[in-house]
Amino acid sequence: MADKLCMVVSEGTFDKAYMPLMMGTTAAAMGSEVHVFYTFFGTGLLKKVAKPKLPGMFRLFTGVFQKRMSKVGIPGHDELMKQAMDMGINFYACATTMGLMGVKESDLKPGVKVLGAAAFLKLAGESKTTLFIG
Amino acid sequence: MCPMPIVALAKKVKELKSGQVLELLADDVGAKEDVPAWCSRTGHQLVGTEEEGKLLRFYIKLK
Repeated sequence: MADKLCMVVSEGTFDKAYMPLMMGTTAAAMGSEVHVFYTFFGTGLLKKVAKPKLPGMFRLFTGVFQKRMSKVGIPGHDELMKQAMDMGINFYACATTMGLMGVKESDLKPGVKVLGAAAFLKLAGESKTTLFIG
Repeated sequence: MCPMPIVALAKKVKELKSGQVLELLADDVGAKEDVPAWCSRTGHQLVGTEEEGKLLRFYIKLK
């Protein structure tokens, strides 16, 4: 059976948005099964159009940073998430915090599943590696 | 740049047959360690590595 990698994303800033996608696509390329669970400020990243910004005052430089990333061949957030889904990565929105953050199921990108904490913990329990990004 | 060489590599490998040798060019320093790690994890054989300035060249024989 393939190794499993689980990740929890609790922040919605640019850096925390990219980390699970880069780590996840790499793991999928290495043959792992990948599950990413978005909670609290992370849930906004699963909306159909997500434009994460750098944290704090650095948010003003998000555009510059984005340009630098496309220069080295890293696609935009939503495009990278789509590539990740095509590679078979599973994305989940935390059922409870969706309500808190005002994210509706109809707002989510196609392919994103809504999951509770217990179901995610079951997946995490079966995986070799679980990372928390927050 | 990381992780794109590995992601592109995994995609390409799916189109090729067992026994074929794939040549990978990368300008990402991370690839130096990433490509051997990917090979040992996936079971494909790294048969050669060359370095030309900033450019890295890998030869991978598919399992």
